[in-house]
Amino acid sequence: MNTEIMELVVIGGGPGGYSAAFRAADLGMQVALIEREETLGGVCLNVGCIPSKALLHVAAAKEEAERLSKHGIRFGAAELDLDALRAFRHDTVSRLTGGLAQMARQRKVQRIIGNARFAGPNVLHVEDRAGNVSAVSFQMCIIAAGSSPIHLPFLPDDPRIVDSTGALELPFIPKRMLVIGGGIIGLEMATVYSGLGARIDVVEQTGGLLAGVDRDMVGIWIKRNSHRFDRIMLSTWLESVEATPEGLVARFNNGYEPATHDLILQAAGRRPNGDRLSLEAAGLQSNGGFIAVDSQMRTAQPNIFAIGDVVGQPMLAHKAVHQGHVAAEVAAGHRAVFEPLVIPSVAYVDPEIAWVGLTEDAARQDGIEVDVGKFPWAASGRAIANGADYGMTKLLFSRETGRLLGGAMIGPGAGDMLGEICLAIELGADATDIGRTIHPHPTLGETIGLAAEAAMGSCTDLPPIPFLCPRQ
Amino acid sequence: METVALVERQTIYLPTIGDYKDVPVVEILVKPGDTVSFEDTIIVLESDKATIEVPSPVSGTLVELLVEIGSRVSEGAPIAIFEISEKAPAAPQPEAAASETRPVAAAPAAVEAAAPVTGSAASKAHASPSVRAYARELGVSLDEVQPTGRKGRIMREDVQAYVKGRIAAPASSGGIAVAPAPAYDFARYGEIERVPLTRIQQISGSSLHRNWVTVPHVTNFDEADVTDIESFRVAMNGEAKGARAKLTMVAFLAKASALALKEHPRFNASLEGDTLVLKKYVHVGVAVDTPKGLLVPVVRDCDRKGLNEIAEEIAGLAERARNGKLAPSDMEGGCFSVSSLGGVGGTGFTPIINAPEVAILGAARAQMQPRWDGTAFQPRLILPVSLSWDHRVLDGVAAARFLGTVVKILGDFRRAAL
Repeated sequence: MNTEIMELVVIGGGPGGYSAAFRAADLGMQVALIEREETLGGVCLNVGCIPSKALLHVAAAKEEAERLSKHGIRFGAAELDLDALRAFRHDTVSRLTGGLAQMARQRKVQRIIGNARFAGPNVLHVEDRAGNVSAVSFQMCIIAAGSSPIHLPFLPDDPRIVDSTGALELPFIPKRMLVIGGGIIGLEMATVYSGLGARIDVVEQTGGLLAGVDRDMVGIWIKRNSHRFDRIMLSTWLESVEATPEGLVARFNNGYEPATHDLILQAAGRRPNGDRLSLEAAGLQSNGGFIAVDSQMRTAQPNIFAIGDVVGQPMLAHKAVHQGHVAAEVAAGHRAVFEPLVIPSVAYVDPEIAWVGLTEDAARQDGIEVDVGKFPWAASGRAIANGADYGMTKLLFSRETGRLLGGAMIGPGAGDMLGEICLAIELGADATDIGRTIHPHPTLGETIGLAAEAAMGSCTDLPPIPFLCPRQ
Repeated sequence: METVALVERQTIYLPTIGDYKDVPVVEILVKPGDTVSFEDTIIVLESDKATIEVPSPVSGTLVELLVEIGSRVSEGAPIAIFEISEKAPAAPQPEAAASETRPVAAAPAAVEAAAPVTGSAASKAHASPSVRAYARELGVSLDEVQPTGRKGRIMREDVQAYVKGRIAAPASSGGIAVAPAPAYDFARYGEIERVPLTRIQQISGSSLHRNWVTVPHVTNFDEADVTDIESFRVAMNGEAKGARAKLTMVAFLAKASALALKEHPRFNASLEGDTLVLKKYVHVGVAVDTPKGLLVPVVRDCDRKGLNEIAEEIAGLAERARNGKLAPSDMEGGCFSVSSLGGVGGTGFTPIINAPEVAILGAARAQMQPRWDGTAFQPRLILPVSLSWDHRVLDGVAAARFLGTVVKILGDFRRAAL
């Protein structure tokens, strides 16, 4: 049907895919963008980051209103209008996806709706909803096929068992909910449902929640969130789930009693979609769904690139966007390379946890010598005024070079403030650079400058440290 | 540095060893527990051209050695930890001595400035994302760029400077392309033995090769009548009866060269790009054959020294050279070199210029030859001399005149007194 040979075809309309397609179009390439869904934006915009943030925002506002009763303002009991909440979520998403569709038109990116598979090193077969297959030939291709939630094979087929996509639909508000997986996605959804009235059980195979985050941060979070949970079952396996009319009966090892839940969320991780593309037809291979690429995002086939979740961890939209830009630029003949020093992470739980670069735990494990500057928000006037005195800002500096290697924050807006730490790392800032940068007062962001001062030993908003010696 | 305990531990550092860096330790003369006196040799280094004995800057007991055979050390490197008793005669000595062993203020400035160029310092340098992208655009590996920004940051200008340097480099380092030498299986044709080149041979070999390839050499030949010098030399040595160093032909050659250099200043020069550096001092290097290779120690101010003094100095330098005890400074600063094969043989050869010098005098073996004095043939002692010179700086006329001056002085050494 389509005899035209596209200069560039992008598979996947998520943040990585559309960014690659738009960037390539801006660089003068003739671009087609294949997406299986009607709307652009992928998991992130449609059934991931964005709708979850809409719900988290609402849940957090409700909880904040309840907390205000201690600070002198009392509201009546909250009334939940689930349809209106779903509509807000839907409007948030459609406003963004509508904007993307318009920007694709403005860039003359040709959109193709359907599932793509390779039929050769220069041709794709695209199957639309009706089952019609058309061939799309290309000179170059960027695979941005993303990832999907892992579905545990032993769970029964039951509408009360959902993945993150299903949970965001807000089918109903359960009384008791089981979250499988104590990672970011599981705990974000636990926060939403708990905010809307559910009691939560979490089962996690490893020994801690939020793997990869420093334990002191997680400790603060658990202290603030223990009221949400009946049980946080660590180092525990879910052994079986039985669907009964009364509820879903879950059994665990590790001596935990079985429990009946109204809703089970599977958030045991995501699997890359590399296996769904018939890669072998293009002479490519995947490793458990992952596709190997070089620092210019090229696969083993020089005309085919891959970016985002499908090339490896971390599976984060902001990583995919940057990789998408690199792939598009290289495809357009530029000498771009994906070489960031760090990729930040944020858990949009309440309180928010944001971290980037080296963690204290990793430094200890790998024997990297660091000077740590910690600023507890209990010493921040703004945090106390905002009822956020439990927060913490932490910076890690290389003892060898003095440069900032990593940072972590917990508290309201932590994710919004993390960008400063990312920038400081990319620009090679040290404690003096950050500490002597005047931060506005009184703000929560000020704690970054104060943590740097704490590392220098010059912070006057903390008690004196009698044993802090100047370095030899 | 506090003096709390009666016994103080002190780390000693490698003192200045000239411009040498990363010099291997070849010998260690002390072991932990040894009592070492001030100035005792503790380790021996073998630099480019000479063996350097490192004396102890303190008196005390060796606690720990911080180097081993094969360690490469540079000025300021920690060598050993000593325990210094306060009972030592000069109590404040440790501190004074310690500061003495630190890099001396004047000389090492260049070394310190040059140090960050190499090694891990460069690869640890930081570049911001925009500079990283710019380097990628130009295909520059940031590990090779020298940072000049604050706190060791690589700036955009550093990347530009690196690229400019790389563009300029091929022009000056020459475009000589030769086929690689084929490998030979010598053992196929008979018994062989493999003997590694000494360090001195390796280093002098690469300098000689560089000079041979990069300096356009021309060699002039002449003959000097040294009959009178020879009889004078023998007479003087007879008089001295070993009370002082023997006058040698090399001493006469060095003195004659020094005087010729004064008369022809373009020969006492070095080329720096488009500029000629004329030297107001006259230091003459003398090639010395040693078991480990060829060394060229330098006699300073040859123009102002008498023959006895020059002969004495050459004897001392040659002795130290053969024993591997020349200091790097003994081989620095030469203006011109003299290479004599007179003791061995031959009728002439073309010496390789010891750059950055611009000329070198070679002398072969003097032989009795018949010379026509206008009425009859006279037996005269004739010394064949050759002069290799840098054609970028000098020309054939100048060279013939310079060599003529040398020959005239050697023919009648009274000229040296003028």
